[in-house]
Amino acid sequence: MTRDNRIDKILLRVAEIMIQELKLEDVTPETFDPAIDLVDEVGIDSMDLATVALVIRDEYRIRIDEDDYPKLTSVQLISEYIERKLKEKAAEGAAA
Amino acid sequence: MVMSTENNGGGGNPLPEKEWKFSEILTQPRILERWQKVKKWFFLRESTYDMTNRCNIRCDGCYYYEGDKQFARENRELEAWRTLMQAEKKRGITYVVLAGAEPSLVLDLCEVCHQEIPLGAIATNGLIFIPESIQYRIHISVWGSDETSLNIRNAKNMLQRQIKNYRNDPRAVFVYTFTRENIDQAQHVAEILAADGCRLTFNMFSAPMGYDGSLRHTADSLKECRKAMLGLLEKYPGNLLFSPYSAVAHTHTSGLHELFSCPYPRMNPSTAIGLGRSFRQYRTDLSWNRSAACCVPDTDCKDCRHYAAGSAVVTARMFRHATDPDVFKAWLDYVDTYLAVWVMGYEKGPNLSDIPIAPPGHGLF
Repeated sequence: MTRDNRIDKILLRVAEIMIQELKLEDVTPETFDPAIDLVDEVGIDSMDLATVALVIRDEYRIRIDEDDYPKLTSVQLISEYIERKLKEKAAEGAAA
Repeated sequence: MVMSTENNGGGGNPLPEKEWKFSEILTQPRILERWQKVKKWFFLRESTYDMTNRCNIRCDGCYYYEGDKQFARENRELEAWRTLMQAEKKRGITYVVLAGAEPSLVLDLCEVCHQEIPLGAIATNGLIFIPESIQYRIHISVWGSDETSLNIRNAKNMLQRQIKNYRNDPRAVFVYTFTRENIDQAQHVAEILAADGCRLTFNMFSAPMGYDGSLRHTADSLKECRKAMLGLLEKYPGNLLFSPYSAVAHTHTSGLHELFSCPYPRMNPSTAIGLGRSFRQYRTDLSWNRSAACCVPDTDCKDCRHYAAGSAVVTARMFRHATDPDVFKAWLDYVDTYLAVWVMGYEKGPNLSDIPIAPPGHGLF
């Protein structure tokens, strides 16, 4: 899978999780703007983000540090974060 | 749950034998039900407001009369308060805490706040009745027996007068503050309150900056407090809004900040999300100062075990409690307790966890 395909797939899944967990209406994973600011424009707060982080942890088996929450303010940023964590996990697996 | 006997090195909870997925934790029906119950309230975003710089009593160790906030000029203009509340609402604040020094001295201002933001709580000494038109939770501070209150608050028959004002009032929660000197009086006070059908919760005296008086807790007094809290929880489950995990979190030798990293602006420079972004603590002149903003300004952060602080600090750390069903149950009990203490109409369920659980990454003491 190319990097573009991989990140696109993550973007769609993160958007889907957002819609499901935050009960967002009138938007689909395909129409969810990945750059939209989740805090300023969607109105999510730290507890919402913690809930989403738990679902992401389940799905991708990665750890999300609570200190990183402030950096995760758009679907794009969350997806890039997941991709980076997956790469780190793969590198650790290869090194072991 | 099957647990390994290996310890995590801090005298805390045994390490879970498996790595739990959050979805697996939620498969337990009692956990799922409680999770869905508390999750509905995640929209609460609080700020706090000093309503007046006056009080009708003067208590030893009162945080309000520390620092310079006590010298702020009072703004008594109803319209100024209304404008502030409307602006707060626009900024996303859904919950207000009216505190310092004694809000019942400015009932007209409290009324305006309630008209604009209907969810909130008032911290009061309970000597002046707050009219029922103000449907906020009323937190009535109790600092020990009437003899102790006379000594450190200079007020006669305090508990009797508080009960007279708030017996059978669904808004009222009596808040017993454990100091180093009144631990043995909690039993007697709880008995009186329970006999009158009153609900109570516990607070821990948290020293103001520079305070070195006799109320400050020691490791021994913290242990004694925990024992007293757990004993009373067993004895008065119908009256006491508390949980075993609340007892652990608030009587740990490490304060709340060390245990959970306080997210209030005073200790948290980030303005991206959560309390660091939205929380403000207004003085009576309607100004606020980011570097002092927390629910108990001028408290020594290292000694902070305050119930109001914990309500936000522990609750905000959901992620780190979602490690296994036992730890998550303890966190749910804490949040269920916090909501019952602070939100009108929210009823606490039975605690899911009967045993003290250590805070993640820490031992039991």
